[in-house]
Amino acid sequence: MDHDLWRQWQALLALWVPGRPDSQAGFGRDAAFGFTPIRDVAERFTAAARSFLDGAANASAPAAGEAALAFSDFLREQFADFHLPGSPGFGAGNGSRSAFTGDSPALGPTREHQQRWQRMADASRRIADAQHRLQRLWSDALREAAAAFTARLVPPQPTAVSAQALRQLYDSWIDCAEDAYARMAHGDAFCNSLADYVNASSQWRQELQASIEHWAKLLDLPTRSEINTLTQRLRGVEELLRSAREQRKPRVKASRVRPARRKLRSRRKARP
Amino acid sequence: MTVASVDQAPAAGSDRAAGCSQKELVWQSGKLRLYRYRPIARPTRGVPLLVVYALVNRPYMMDLQEDRSLIRGLLAEGLDVYLIDWGYPDGADRFTTLADYIDQHLAGCVQQVLKTRRLRAVNLLGVCQGGVLSLCFSALHPQLVRNLITMVTPVDFHTPADLLSKWVSKIDVAAWVNDGNVSGDALNQLFLSLMPFRLTQQKYVDLLAGSPDRARIENFMRVEQWIFDSPDQAGAAFLEFVTWFYQENRLAQNRLEIAGRKVDLRALRLPMLNLIGKRDHLVPPAASAALQRLVGSSDYTMLEFDLGHIGMYISARAQREVPAAIANWLAAR
Repeated sequence: MDHDLWRQWQALLALWVPGRPDSQAGFGRDAAFGFTPIRDVAERFTAAARSFLDGAANASAPAAGEAALAFSDFLREQFADFHLPGSPGFGAGNGSRSAFTGDSPALGPTREHQQRWQRMADASRRIADAQHRLQRLWSDALREAAAAFTARLVPPQPTAVSAQALRQLYDSWIDCAEDAYARMAHGDAFCNSLADYVNASSQWRQELQASIEHWAKLLDLPTRSEINTLTQRLRGVEELLRSAREQRKPRVKASRVRPARRKLRSRRKARP
Repeated sequence: MTVASVDQAPAAGSDRAAGCSQKELVWQSGKLRLYRYRPIARPTRGVPLLVVYALVNRPYMMDLQEDRSLIRGLLAEGLDVYLIDWGYPDGADRFTTLADYIDQHLAGCVQQVLKTRRLRAVNLLGVCQGGVLSLCFSALHPQLVRNLITMVTPVDFHTPADLLSKWVSKIDVAAWVNDGNVSGDALNQLFLSLMPFRLTQQKYVDLLAGSPDRARIENFMRVEQWIFDSPDQAGAAFLEFVTWFYQENRLAQNRLEIAGRKVDLRALRLPMLNLIGKRDHLVPPAASAALQRLVGSSDYTMLEFDLGHIGMYISARAQREVPAAIANWLAAR
């Protein structure tokens, strides 16, 4: 394991620093697929930060301010699509209006199905709406973070552009972003939008499950409802068994005790 | 183990999923396993310590590697340590309730320890959500618990800093669960969302930018593996936990019932030690510290460590301080 880990790290390092001789370690660039988005984001950040640092170091105050503003705009754009994990991208709604959005009354033998699809369409619309609100809040937080970050920027000395300076800038950006995000995430608007998103997604999933169960029944395939029923019955039997065992416990103890008492009595009787 | 590419690196510590210390299986029931760790020092305490871990992650975080193992630290202090591994719930476990976990699984483990060791009561160490389960068990079965230790355990779920509580406050949890299990992946996404920039960006940049030290990479990979090795949650228990604790805050309001029996924290009179991480982003310190005003114990000790949630398990400082604090506290009782 140790050897493998070491090779992995060397390969990782080679990808991060392409000029290193280790880059010939036999791992393709695809090997770091899992890190690619992170690396790309960090590299883009580094390029923008370097541009800012190079530009601001030798510029006048107004030009330095413009460089800071450009950097701030870059950050907002860069992280605009940095989706909140677990919310946008679910794919259920995708912001598109379904074919089943009609408000026409459900009639005829397929009435139940029509209503189900209408409920699904409604859930999809609510998912998309909640996603939109979350994205807007996210954008607001990024704007706030970028503003806070820009306010922290100090034009560096010409000699100060270094890997350490870049790293400090990156960490500073992360601090600003987390602070702004935390303020947003604790707010009612975010909590309500998140709840709307989850609740609409739950309903969408329930309606889809019900629809699939309908077709499964037509094809005489087992359904989740049937398995749930069986599972509940099994739990009932297990509970009965446990109760029966509990009731038997005192009897077992008594039967163990009795022979001892009998022996004791017989010994007592035997004594003169 | 063969790992041929970097993107598979988080699996590199998979052989560590069982933990690093030697232990033996002493009891099992369904997916649950009860382990007893082999001593590494002369046992000095007569009453065993049963570690009750959370349901939402795997317990090997307590025994990740030799120099980052609270279990090992406890063993080195001469404690006799047992650990519950809840296993990975599957679809057949979807109706498992909190009462099942507390009155059957946890109670079964306690009874097993007591039976084999011929004791009347055991010491409990409840970790995170496992601390909540331990509190409930202790309140329902006070005669079976001699000393109770809680670690990064939420008690008041409505403190201002509790972001998870705010997020779930308006979520229809019953619809979310919908008679099924809750995906561990979904929970991971939720936890990552608490600090998305740090947890999905900065920590990987730290990894890449830091020194190429083998031990450092291995440590990172093991923690990474643990973070994303999240069991699905039994639907019924999850629904109860989120509704009763996070949404309704029943434990702190002293109106929690498990299987029709009241969990009365005020009736808890046993010695209690509460370990808190001052920088815990998952369980805010205030959420844990609330325990003091809720329990009836006159022997209550609270220790705060300047650590985060995970740091309480694996940081070097935790290794130095937490096992010793537990052992010293137990030795005095």
